Amino acid sequence: MGFNKPTWTPGRERTTVSPAHFRRLAEVRARRQRHARDRLAGRQLEGSLLSLAALLGTGVKDANGDTVGKLRDVVVRWTAGAPYPRMTAIVVRAGKHDVAIGSRWIEMAPPATVRLGSSQAYARAVKRHPGDVALAHDVLDHQVVDADGTQMVRPADVYLTELNGRIEALGIEVGVGALLRRLGPGFLRHRIRPQQVIDWRDIASFAPARTEGEQPRGRRSDMAGQPGAGLALGGPAGDVKRLDSSEVRAALRAQKNRGSDGDPR
Amino acid sequence: MSAVDTPSRRNVGRVARLPRWLKGVLGLLAILGPGLISANAGNDAGGILTYASAGSQFGYRTLFLLVLITVALVIVQEMCSRLGAYTGEGLGALIREQFPLRSGAAAMALLFVANAGLTVSEFAGVGASMELFGVSRYIAVPLALVGIWSVTVLGNYSRVQRVFLVMGLVFLAYPVAAVLAHPHWGTVVSNLVWPHFLHTDAFLLLAVALIGTTITPYMQFYLTSAVVDKGVTPKTYKAERIDTINGAILGDMVSVFIIIATAAAIGGTGPLNSVSQAAAALKPVAGAAASQLFAFGLLGASLLAATVVPLSSAYALAETAGAERSLARKLREAPLFYGVFTVQLVIGAVIALLPGNLVELVINAQVLNGFITPILLTYILILANRRSVLGAAANGPVFRIVATICVAVVGVLSSLVLVQTVAGWL
Repeated sequence: MGFNKPTWTPGRERTTVSPAHFRRLAEVRARRQRHARDRLAGRQLEGSLLSLAALLGTGVKDANGDTVGKLRDVVVRWTAGAPYPRMTAIVVRAGKHDVAIGSRWIEMAPPATVRLGSSQAYARAVKRHPGDVALAHDVLDHQVVDADGTQMVRPADVYLTELNGRIEALGIEVGVGALLRRLGPGFLRHRIRPQQVIDWRDIASFAPARTEGEQPRGRRSDMAGQPGAGLALGGPAGDVKRLDSSEVRAALRAQKNRGSDGDPR
Repeated sequence: MSAVDTPSRRNVGRVARLPRWLKGVLGLLAILGPGLISANAGNDAGGILTYASAGSQFGYRTLFLLVLITVALVIVQEMCSRLGAYTGEGLGALIREQFPLRSGAAAMALLFVANAGLTVSEFAGVGASMELFGVSRYIAVPLALVGIWSVTVLGNYSRVQRVFLVMGLVFLAYPVAAVLAHPHWGTVVSNLVWPHFLHTDAFLLLAVALIGTTITPYMQFYLTSAVVDKGVTPKTYKAERIDTINGAILGDMVSVFIIIATAAAIGGTGPLNSVSQAAAALKPVAGAAASQLFAFGLLGASLLAATVVPLSSAYALAETAGAERSLARKLREAPLFYGVFTVQLVIGAVIALLPGNLVELVINAQVLNGFITPILLTYILILANRRSVLGAAANGPVFRIVATICVAVVGVLSSLVLVQTVAGWL
């Protein structure tokens, strides 16, 4: 692209190059390096991150490899003090009914493999427990209000990862790229490229969506933490850091190191 | 609420000293808001030319249809303002939340196409009105494009919007023109209360165009977002409901008078071929200056709508994508919002500059809107029916039936014209 283009050739007058020109070149070079780093980090993350958007609708196989149903939702438990909520169950569409299967029976692997670890997996009726967050029903595409209640983001994906044998929700993706990935052909869903990820630790509260017949939720500014609000951030949306692929990879490594050191966080 | 929004003590004192009748008028004006603005936005360049074409082509025969359309408009607008007041979210956001992503994206794509058609007609209106002043549209349209973009993105949009609104008020001359034209009031009333429809393809096409220009998707998207921005809550919704219903009725009354005035002046002469024919209906009021008066009003209405329509697309798409959306943001801070706005403006201006009959182009854009409207109305109906969205404020059984009939009739009429058009190609 002309970075090494000579600015002077013998026999011709030397053209003057302004410092701003070199600054611009340095910016372009830095941007390219950042993109290359992000692409590499994204590829490395493909083996360790699970994308909720990619998981939804995939066939859930039993121990014999037969499909028992399609994945409809992933339920995590909101626990005060825990930075990342743990998966407690999945909701599977089997025939014409939804059933919940506890996480102890589930094995998940990137990009979108969901298996029942035992032939004796126990399925139960779907029922919401206090603190349950159904990621597809409550989070994906739903508003996340900030502390002021004036600005909000809308998650286009939720990333999960396996830590010490447990699946945990790591963060929400609010970038437009993830939205386009979901709109595109199915194979694109497995190409996970975190762009603007909000760490789950920045989410301050969760109030489940209303069910049929309950009171309407009211205005955004009044409803942070109220029923129907969904997730609420701990600070103003503009102040919450959005992580790119490299930062997500770094956060994931730190979390894994903490886990292997026996740190309960 | 910021201090700017709070009336000062001095102003409160001034209002208290006003005569009682004036306080009543001010009170009425205070509740006039998004409902009135969005309903009157239907009386834009496309609307005025479509109503005038209805009057010149079929006389008073479309009046009963307009009464039915007004009922449908009231129902649809009321559902939209209720959705905004009770959920605190715009239609784009609600569609993203409540429908599968691809289905929501399809709705937004349709809105973009429908609004692109409307933007073309608004720029065509700018070109046509300036041609009445003797300025070529090849100069007027690019100037309008640059002016609208600069004012909206770089300047004070709300101040200029008021100027456009005042210019559009010229069309209030139509009720006066309708009276001065001495129409046969017996025939007018008979056509208002009883259908005098024609079983012809042209009548059906114009009926769909009338629906397309009166119940316009961008009005519904604008109304919901404006109700949210205005801060209407379930507690204050009663006043907003009055504004919405009044706005729809008043807006359509102007449309009725446009048809009556045009029918009385040039009724039965066939479809409009030029904008100056539409201006002829204002002759009883303005005499020789009718053409200039019409051009002035058309320019104001077109400039206002050419700004508002792309803005409604930008708001809806950015809302759906969860991206930054506000005129208070800078260009770099809201690239998607300003990008959609700019792309739609440019598409509209370029197509409006292509050679051809402007009136025909404008009416075709309304027909396109007529096809897309029932699809978007279905989304609104489903949202307003859901108790999980509106709780106890969801549509009751009777309202649900009436609203479903309205959407179904609009859908059937549009489908009929679509089938006829496709059959005509084969």
